[in-house]
Amino acid sequence: MRTGVFILIGLAAAAVAAEPPRSAYVVIVHPANRVSRVDRKFLAEAFLRRATRWPDDTPIHPVDLGPDARARIRFSEDVLSRSVASVRSYWQQRIFSGQGLPPPELADDESVVAYVLGHPGAVGYVAAGTALNGATVLEVN
Amino acid sequence: MNDRAMERLDLTPSLAKRQQHGRRLSTRLPMAALVAFLLAQRPAAAVELTLPGQLPSLDVHAFISQGFLLTSANDYLADSSRGSFEFSEVGLNVTLPATDRLTLGLQIFARKLGPLGDYRATLDWYYLDYHWRDWLGIRAGRVKLPFGLYNDISDIDSARTAVLLPQSVYPAQNRDFLLAQTGVEAYGYKRLGPAGALDYRLYAGTIFLDVKPQPGSPLAVVDLNVPYVAGGRVQWLPIDGLRLGGSLQFLRLDTDLLLASISAPVAVKIPATLWVASAEYTVHDFLFAAEYSRWLVTTQSSNPSVFPEGSTTSERAYALASYRLNPWLQAGAYYSRLVPNVDRRTWPAGIQHDFALTLRFDVNQYWLIKAEGHYMRGTAGLSSSLNGNVPLSALTPDWALFAVKTTAYF
Repeated sequence: MRTGVFILIGLAAAAVAAEPPRSAYVVIVHPANRVSRVDRKFLAEAFLRRATRWPDDTPIHPVDLGPDARARIRFSEDVLSRSVASVRSYWQQRIFSGQGLPPPELADDESVVAYVLGHPGAVGYVAAGTALNGATVLEVN
Repeated sequence: MNDRAMERLDLTPSLAKRQQHGRRLSTRLPMAALVAFLLAQRPAAAVELTLPGQLPSLDVHAFISQGFLLTSANDYLADSSRGSFEFSEVGLNVTLPATDRLTLGLQIFARKLGPLGDYRATLDWYYLDYHWRDWLGIRAGRVKLPFGLYNDISDIDSARTAVLLPQSVYPAQNRDFLLAQTGVEAYGYKRLGPAGALDYRLYAGTIFLDVKPQPGSPLAVVDLNVPYVAGGRVQWLPIDGLRLGGSLQFLRLDTDLLLASISAPVAVKIPATLWVASAEYTVHDFLFAAEYSRWLVTTQSSNPSVFPEGSTTSERAYALASYRLNPWLQAGAYYSRLVPNVDRRTWPAGIQHDFALTLRFDVNQYWLIKAEGHYMRGTAGLSSSLNGNVPLSALTPDWALFAVKTTAYF
């Protein structure tokens, strides 16, 4: 009996170890977007509005979650290599010096999915497990 | 513009005039504080105004700041030795992304900083921006000058930790000369593969200046203009968060001065060359920055016996660090050094060391409060006219500044 329990625990542990770590968010684009994989640096430039066009010349429309959203915090650290507060400071500089506007901030994952589906050049991120309703997941290198 | 040249031209209103404004200020300050309070109580993201028909929406942002300055000795930027609330800023901007390449924007700005500003609303910047490619865009209008890391954001309290940016490189009293130019600007961002990216801005234009009456001054400014201002800033971004750059600026200030004792005006030309080398590293919640700058200012006069000619090179430098301890608290520190004339580093009027410590409290996303202490050694950054025309060498050499500022913004 005890041997069986150990085997079960061992198998469960092995299954957990074999599963790749799941990201807290997924990056999504409009289904018409032909890009399926993107470089992290390009994605960062898109969200800082330094890169403004996809390779096919479609304007990029990045969209953010609110500053307290867990997916926003993880995305900011992973992709932009800055805290959300630091990114907000960056946008304060841009807004009030006339250099540009930040991506719109939407209230929840569902709103981001709807925005992405409504704008051909849009790119956003939502918490893993959110219903994507046809939005394409973008792989980030 | 060179501080000494400004001091010689006496472009600041007299102390008496400032005291008059101080009385009017007493009624305005509570109003400004009330507006700030109300704004902060009503959290809102950028206001988006939808225009009729198929027109794109307007994006609206604003900020309002009220500060307080107190010095242990000497008057600095305002009548600070008695404590001064003459430290206010208000800005409102609208941006219209007309198409995916064309953007229009403008900002209205008013301020009061000691003798400067008088709450008069001005068009701080306005532009037509055509973003052709990421590596080339054109702006035309009145555009903030990209000089160093922070010149174009020196009004924007919410974008930094410190109350006062290092005054050696970003002197608040020179805002009219150094903040914006009217003309054109080309800008771009070029990816360099594994070497990172380049961010660049080149500009040329002029600066429009008001001639203000100066009661009591022996010199009357008849005419004042800037025939040209031109320059650029190039920044290399080799890795995430790191900016290494250089800025160069050329400008000339032309003025005609009239003396009571002489019938013919004295024509004075003041060409200036300014450069700054910059480094900034932002990683997670840390920020480190350092800049070194030299400004060469030459004075050419049609009557040197009345207004002497000369050439001065000033040296300006600082190093700063800041760290966000948690979402609502940020701490910062910097050391800044000003030498107005590298050939005359006399103590105490020929140098100023500034050691600053700041705490920034973000009450919420739209309201912040800052407290800052400075220990100053030297008097080179002071203004003689703000201190009863006492020579800088006779002012208190070791002194302290305490500043508090609150800003509401969206």
